[in-house]
Amino acid sequence: MTEPVNIRPPLLRVENLRTYFYSRVKRAFVRSVDGVDLEVERGETLGIVGESGSGKSVTMLSAVGLVTAGPGVITGNVTFHDEAPQNLLQGLDSNVEIKHRNGRIMHIAKNNQSWQKQADLNLRGVRGGKISMIFQNPRAALNPFETVGQQIAESVRLHTGMKSAIQAKERALYWLEQVRIDSPHLRYDNHPYGLSGGMSQRAMIAMALAAEPRMLIADEPTTGLDATIQARIVDLLDDLKTRLGMTMVLISHDIGVISRLSNRIAVMYGGRVLETGPTAEVLDERADGHPYTRALLASTPRRENITESGHLPAIEGEVLDTINVPCGCRFRERCQRINDTVHTRCETSEPELFEIAPGRRIRCWLYSPQ
Amino acid sequence: MKRATWMAAASVLSQELATTAALLLGVTLVAFLILYLAPGDPFAALLGGRNLSGAERDAAFEALGIPTTWYGQYLTWIAHVLQGDFGISMRSGQPVVREIFSSGIKTLFLTVGSLIVTLAIAVPVAAYSAMQPSSLRARAGTLLVYLFSALPTFWLGYMLIYFFTRKLGLFPILSATDETQEYGWLYALLPVVLLGLCNGTLSEIVRYLREEIARVMNEEYVRTARAKGASTWRHAYKEALLLPVSQIIAAKMPFVLGGAIIVEQVFNWPGLGRVTWQAALDRDYPVIMAITLLAAIVVRIGSFLHRTVYVAVNPRALQQ
Amino acid sequence: MKKKFHQDVDTVSEYSQLSAWKSASTSDRLNVVYGFAVVLVVAVSYVLGAFGWLPHDPEAMDLDTMMADPFTNGYLLGTDFMGRDILTRLILGIQAYFLPSVLAVFIALGLGSLLGVLSGYWRRRFETPVTYFSNLIDSLPRMVLMLLVIAAFRPSIYTIMVVFGITTAPTIAMLVKGKVMMLRERNFIESAVALGLSPGVIIFKHILWFNCRALLLIQATIGMAEAVLLETSLSYLGFGVQEPTPSWGNMVQAGANYLLQGNFWPSTAPAIAIMLTVLGFHLLGDGLNNILEGRQNR
Repeated sequence: MTEPVNIRPPLLRVENLRTYFYSRVKRAFVRSVDGVDLEVERGETLGIVGESGSGKSVTMLSAVGLVTAGPGVITGNVTFHDEAPQNLLQGLDSNVEIKHRNGRIMHIAKNNQSWQKQADLNLRGVRGGKISMIFQNPRAALNPFETVGQQIAESVRLHTGMKSAIQAKERALYWLEQVRIDSPHLRYDNHPYGLSGGMSQRAMIAMALAAEPRMLIADEPTTGLDATIQARIVDLLDDLKTRLGMTMVLISHDIGVISRLSNRIAVMYGGRVLETGPTAEVLDERADGHPYTRALLASTPRRENITESGHLPAIEGEVLDTINVPCGCRFRERCQRINDTVHTRCETSEPELFEIAPGRRIRCWLYSPQ
Repeated sequence: MKRATWMAAASVLSQELATTAALLLGVTLVAFLILYLAPGDPFAALLGGRNLSGAERDAAFEALGIPTTWYGQYLTWIAHVLQGDFGISMRSGQPVVREIFSSGIKTLFLTVGSLIVTLAIAVPVAAYSAMQPSSLRARAGTLLVYLFSALPTFWLGYMLIYFFTRKLGLFPILSATDETQEYGWLYALLPVVLLGLCNGTLSEIVRYLREEIARVMNEEYVRTARAKGASTWRHAYKEALLLPVSQIIAAKMPFVLGGAIIVEQVFNWPGLGRVTWQAALDRDYPVIMAITLLAAIVVRIGSFLHRTVYVAVNPRALQQ
Repeated sequence: MKKKFHQDVDTVSEYSQLSAWKSASTSDRLNVVYGFAVVLVVAVSYVLGAFGWLPHDPEAMDLDTMMADPFTNGYLLGTDFMGRDILTRLILGIQAYFLPSVLAVFIALGLGSLLGVLSGYWRRRFETPVTYFSNLIDSLPRMVLMLLVIAAFRPSIYTIMVVFGITTAPTIAMLVKGKVMMLRERNFIESAVALGLSPGVIIFKHILWFNCRALLLIQATIGMAEAVLLETSLSYLGFGVQEPTPSWGNMVQAGANYLLQGNFWPSTAPAIAIMLTVLGFHLLGDGLNNILEGRQNR
């Protein structure tokens, strides 16, 4: 086989990640992320797509310890392999006792302080320096009390060798230019409230890249921006990706954005990954795919979807209740493709991610090898 | 700073001054009216002890150059005050200004010191309660704060005196009778600590700070700071500490002054609190009016300082 | 310290709304229970004192048993430096503050709600004067104002408490106004008016009773606590009830010299009483706050 194979291990590997929050009001666990496996190869962009509440943001936030899971717990393995492999969730399990019942977590005894301490220890040096993150709502995500330039310069001083104020400022200006912001010198001295949505998102991208990270996580970077601005930010990210050879994880519910920027896609629903594969294949309506993904594609507002029946087909049913997770397949109550063959299996047990082709996995009984 | 900023700051300042003037007028007017409506005659001494009324009284007043109507008297008082003359104390016959000034400095010392003590306790307890609510430090701290807020100041003061002065011999205190006793700053330590602990607002301050810290720590920009590996406190301190502390101090300043009255009583501290108490006992009206005005000014200064901090920290404040 | 999080049932019903009390934390429940206990004890003692159903004569001086420890000779809490029974005097001391404090709280809540509603509902006419009035009152330290009034009138504790109530009203007014503004923002008031409800009904039933009652209740507890502290402080300073009538404040003052000589009890007993009572009101307010506000946050 002379196929070029990426012999280096994936930059980030998430194995069986579970993040449960505890709701005091309902006295129950909210299973935000319920066993997620992901891999991000170097130099590629992984797009995670799903509805609100699917757990896509929480997955990556848990991986970098930005979800404190106050009352709650995070378990699993998150391996970040830069020069040497590093388990970002190392040692956290020793601070918590978990008791299961019927295979579900029902009871936790957790020492919050030592958990937090351990989490911070694991992620020191990684957060911000090796893995950077940008968020939705850029104006709220930037410190309103400092100028944009100061915040970018802080990234520079923290994570690159340039400690002096002048060097940091120069570097910050450099990055402001890289993100194609207008009048970088002026913007440097602006406070976030003085910038528009698009400009502050560019500023935040500059701030994230100024640390020269190995990987960028973009959590809904275009949501909340005007449509035209969205397109420009997507262009910017595309451009930066190519020029800098960035590894990126892009989280969005906008399939258009995901398709434009990602090499591979993971589709999430109800805290689980339902489908992964190369972008073109996953988004190809004529090919095999998970019922959920197909339904999503059919319901996006595009001309092709409306002309046939005259209306936009919506996915029936309601979003999964992550407190009372049903047994069996999570999507079965809304699935249009259940047939008699798989009916019983869909109701009783949850399918695994079946590999129907190298790098292409679907969690559906319709595609099981049997 | 740019010219626009100067102009904005000037307008804020003039607004504050105008409000303050209006409030001070209101406060002194209310105080004056209360004293005016009181039974007894504050002018008895001036009338040579004669009990006059009606036309005779008016005539005597005119002869002495005192206005006969209450608003006339009030305006005369204001006029004198604006020239720095607060009258003569009925008790000591000394100019009020002198008494108030010397005792005021001593109370200022107590007050500032006690604010430091209060903050030194409130900020850590609030921070621990906000960040790690179930920790031992947070719970113990909160419990202690609640206890101290409920303890009567005067009793605690005597206990402190007993243990530290009588038993351990540290921290000397002033005697009740010897007014010429020399003393240094060591004498101030116990009163400062007492006032810091027992100004009646410690639990409120802790509660407010804790809420603010918890709220700010959950703000998106603090999460971004964490995400970029920066110190969360360095980003949060302005909104979590500076602003709420200056706000709560300005708001609770009146209570600190009130507490000083009690503390000075316990420790025989010759400050403004004791002067106030004495004046209330003696019905020494000029002194009381002066103290009222001074107290109101101090409270306004506190509010002004808060405003200043707010504007200094907040980049958009001046644009309104 | 490990915190435990436990899920009882496999399926949580969407409509399982636990009552506010049941979903409250243990510490909140303890606080409320303790606070209620304190209120009960104070109220009962007030009645006892009002009717004179006391264990001993408050002024009787038992010269043989002076400065006695608790549980000596039938004196449950011991005697003070003049041989008077402490328990009796403590019970009687409640007379000095109970009714006046209740009066003060009523005035504070009444005046505060009035001002808050006025400045929130009819903003154009009332907001500025009410704000000015509030700032005016806030500009004066309460103690200074009290001493001013005392210097002028040598008033009874009831008058003092009326003034105290007036000084607390601005805080309540501001809170009530905040609620009104919030309701206004949610178009609540607009829709009520559109439904044809009269201002009276809107204000009393909807704004105050439905939306403000938790707030007002909690402010009442805070007000009581402050009133108790105020009365005891004033009687400590010598401006409240005079000897031999007991007030917790003047009891501490009278016993002060003995405390400084090592005889703690005559001063400490009333101090503990003050602390337990004030703590009771504070904790009651805190617990209620957590329980009631928690419910509104669903």
